[in-house]
Amino acid sequence: MEHSKTANRIMFALLVFAAAVFLFPIFVVLMNSFKNKFSISQTPFVLPNGDTFAGITNYTTGVADTGFFSAFGWSLFITVFSVLAIVVFTSMTAWYIVRVKSVFTSIFYYALVFSMIVPFQMVMFTMSKTANTLGLDNPIGIILIYLGFGAGLSTFMFTGFIKSVPVQIEEAATIDGCNPAQTYWRIVFPILKPTAITVAILNTMWIWNDYLLPYLVIGHDYKTIPIAVQYLKGGYGSVDMGAMMAMLVLAIIPVVIFYLSCQKYIIKGVASGAVKG
Amino acid sequence: MGKAVKKYFALFVLPTLIAFVIAFAVPFLMGVYLSFTEFRTVSDAQFVGFANYIKAFSENNEFLFSLWFTVKFAVVSVFSINVLAFALALMLTRGIKGTNLFRTVFFMPNLIGGIVLGYIWQLIINGVLYKYGYSITSNPTFGFWGLVILMNWQMIGYMMIIYIAGIQNISTDILEAAKVDGANSFTTLFRIIIPSVMPSVTICLFLTITNSFKMFDPNLALTAGAPSKQTQMVALDIYNTFYSRSGYEGVGQAKAVMFFLVVAVIALLQLWFTRRKEVES
Amino acid sequence: MKKKVTALLLVIVVICMSISLTACGKKKSQVYFLNFKPEAANAYKEIAAAYEKETGISVKVVTAAANTYEQTLKSEIAKSDAPTIFQVNGPIGYNEWKDYCLDIKDSKLYSYLSDDTLAIKEDDGVYAVPYVVEGYGIIYNDAIMQRYFALPEKKTDITSTDEINSFDTLKAVVGDMTANLSKLGIEGVFASTSLSSGEDWRWQTHLLNVPLYYEFSENTDYDDPTLAGLNLKDIEFKYHQNFENIFDLYINNSITEKTLLGSKSTADSMAEFALGKVAMVQNGNWAWSQISDVEGNTVKANDIKFMPIYTGIDGEKGQGLCIGTENYIAINKNVTQEQQKASLDFLDWLFSSTTGKDFVTNKLDYITPFNTFTEDELPNDPLAKEVVRYMNDDSVKTVPWIFTSFPSEEFKSHIGSYLLDYAQGTRKWDEFKKELINKWKSER
Repeated sequence: MEHSKTANRIMFALLVFAAAVFLFPIFVVLMNSFKNKFSISQTPFVLPNGDTFAGITNYTTGVADTGFFSAFGWSLFITVFSVLAIVVFTSMTAWYIVRVKSVFTSIFYYALVFSMIVPFQMVMFTMSKTANTLGLDNPIGIILIYLGFGAGLSTFMFTGFIKSVPVQIEEAATIDGCNPAQTYWRIVFPILKPTAITVAILNTMWIWNDYLLPYLVIGHDYKTIPIAVQYLKGGYGSVDMGAMMAMLVLAIIPVVIFYLSCQKYIIKGVASGAVKG
Repeated sequence: MGKAVKKYFALFVLPTLIAFVIAFAVPFLMGVYLSFTEFRTVSDAQFVGFANYIKAFSENNEFLFSLWFTVKFAVVSVFSINVLAFALALMLTRGIKGTNLFRTVFFMPNLIGGIVLGYIWQLIINGVLYKYGYSITSNPTFGFWGLVILMNWQMIGYMMIIYIAGIQNISTDILEAAKVDGANSFTTLFRIIIPSVMPSVTICLFLTITNSFKMFDPNLALTAGAPSKQTQMVALDIYNTFYSRSGYEGVGQAKAVMFFLVVAVIALLQLWFTRRKEVES
Repeated sequence: MKKKVTALLLVIVVICMSISLTACGKKKSQVYFLNFKPEAANAYKEIAAAYEKETGISVKVVTAAANTYEQTLKSEIAKSDAPTIFQVNGPIGYNEWKDYCLDIKDSKLYSYLSDDTLAIKEDDGVYAVPYVVEGYGIIYNDAIMQRYFALPEKKTDITSTDEINSFDTLKAVVGDMTANLSKLGIEGVFASTSLSSGEDWRWQTHLLNVPLYYEFSENTDYDDPTLAGLNLKDIEFKYHQNFENIFDLYINNSITEKTLLGSKSTADSMAEFALGKVAMVQNGNWAWSQISDVEGNTVKANDIKFMPIYTGIDGEKGQGLCIGTENYIAINKNVTQEQQKASLDFLDWLFSSTTGKDFVTNKLDYITPFNTFTEDELPNDPLAKEVVRYMNDDSVKTVPWIFTSFPSEEFKSHIGSYLLDYAQGTRKWDEFKKELINKWKSER
């Protein structure tokens, strides 16, 4: 017993060290966002002092240059509605695929699973071209793109879960006079809720941070946060390191808030998402 | 059940099907077709057979170089991420004080996007190297390890969560029994814990391998391939071939097809291999 | 309750999707200008706003991030809402995009050109018109130079910048200045030779222009060095030694260690110059805004001067600045006639109306090749004034921009990465030289 106590102490020390290593980069960025732009790249590990302290000017110039608030708005809009669409439609599709066994549903299912391993570069040009031809290159149209591109993993996870749901409950509801749509929303979807949360979280993490897809599809008219950050690099003829640091901080804040407030679901979601995969 | 549901095809399947066809199926097939053509927009595509595939290798060795760079990167980071994540998972399943807090901290970087991650690490790495008169683009080795560190920072927390779930699923009876039998911690680890978390290993390997191969955003932000495209991973090479050079769209598309095949083969092999291990244990 | 919520959600989503599907009929921009110059991004936004206020026609301006113009143009021009005005960077660029260039020989814009040979023509058509004339050379801070000339321990006998008229004199002065950095109050003679990717165009394009210009102008098979450059399948790179001369001078007398150049951007160099940390920087008159906008700028406007880039080639005596253009405007052939007309009207307004010209002169700081601008409608900034001074000085010989004949963007960026390797010491000069010759051949 004594032995394991010292082991735990050593481990605790190790964990504290590891945690410090993990937090350090974020701390450095935060610190540098308050320094003037010429004191950043060469001495990033020095705390701001009287000479180098820049107050919040980096934030004000950064926000103005990148149109950060509109980028935040677009990111939020696209993420929320795409995730909603994915959860609603892929769960319904998954249920249909499990309950209706036909050649078509199994082909569709395998096509969806297949899409999971295809790298984005394979379709980057043709997809943005198709989106443009169909007039989907706007923040609403891109929701459909995300539904299509995210359908693989999400449907796969839902079907995995639905297979374990006994069909008897649904049959009982049908006898009570429910049509399949009612049965689905009253009986099945509530059972799927844990998986739905998992799917929602995995997709939120993906869509919120996605760069290349929105850049190619809508990037020149509507900038999401990652696009705005990348555009800082060459879009204005010079790289303002101060504004860059401030934007990095602003890009991290919503993520941290989202994480801390839904931590329980996120960690559970990631864990159970993996087990089913 | 099936019959009644079948009539509701339009409601249940059609939206997903339409989106899938538009966003994936059509672009995928078009992509395969275009890789055999020379084109700038789509309408002017001219069939050229395998010319693009040949050009991808004969023109210069960038594709092979970036592929090899990606493979090296994937090997190193898959190994380090999984070992470190598993070690953290072991430590965080012993009931040490502050376990939840640690878990929160380790997972957080995973939520930060690739572009942002790239710039964060560019600042840190350049800051360190600056003291020795270097920058991350001075030498491709710096870029390589920069990418590995970044990837570790991003993925360790994620994999750790999965391993924790796996370890917690092991029934305490088995562990107790092992203890009674006088098994030391090493034998417990290798005889009991690791075999029972094989499903987690499968999924973690799958996720880290595919993510390492597909890495794009952090690569673009951290080094953008500098110096001399020597830290350019395949995804970035394809992007650059496609968009930065006129007349090379077909070659870029051909590279993308080959990239897809490589990723698919590796992912399937890995799944087949580790699943087999799961069954054995 | 639950049912209502889910039903509501469903309705919202369905509405969203139907909107997105019917959004096909969205309105196209009348005028869509894809801007090449990041430093002018904000000025163009103001111009677009002013034009809309005056005429009610909205102009969409999108600025490609530095070094991404080709790829932005490629992805944008394939779209249904394609740019109506775009730019090509000379004959090579025109060849690339000729399928999209409208014949504008009857346009007012073309008629404004004071020298109509400047336009890009093919057969009877006129397909692209330059809109700005620019010059580059070595920008220096005269205050620091005067301090040097007044230095008692100075080892050269040069007493004014006018006497720096060859590579040897330049090298002597620069070397001696480096020996006296602290007395001059600077940290290096030259600003950082920025070599990070996308930031190396001052060397792989502009600096390389000088030795290749001399090589091409010696070629008697062609009347014109640009023409020679466009047609040559092989180059000799005869003056590579001179290129090395000047490049070494830059990196050996720099504020930044050679191994760190790969992380530097043009903006870094301009900031170093603006803050008075260095005496010289190679760049063009477009860089004025990057100097004047730097916070804590210590350089006085009337101390900012240009000198030519000397490389030690025989006959460089009396050499002037490198002056020319790589900015040609073209109208997209594949948009509607209405859009084409609206685009030409906008350009006409920009380059001939009083308001438009005021923007061009005072916000964009362009020296234009158009006869609609009078002598006193020239930009007021010190660098533009210097360019005009050199242009009007008959005793110096301008070096034209022949880099518009370089085979491709890939050629330039590839050469740029080799320059970085050379600067960092991972490649020899000889490798660079060979690669340049090979790459020219393979990209042609």
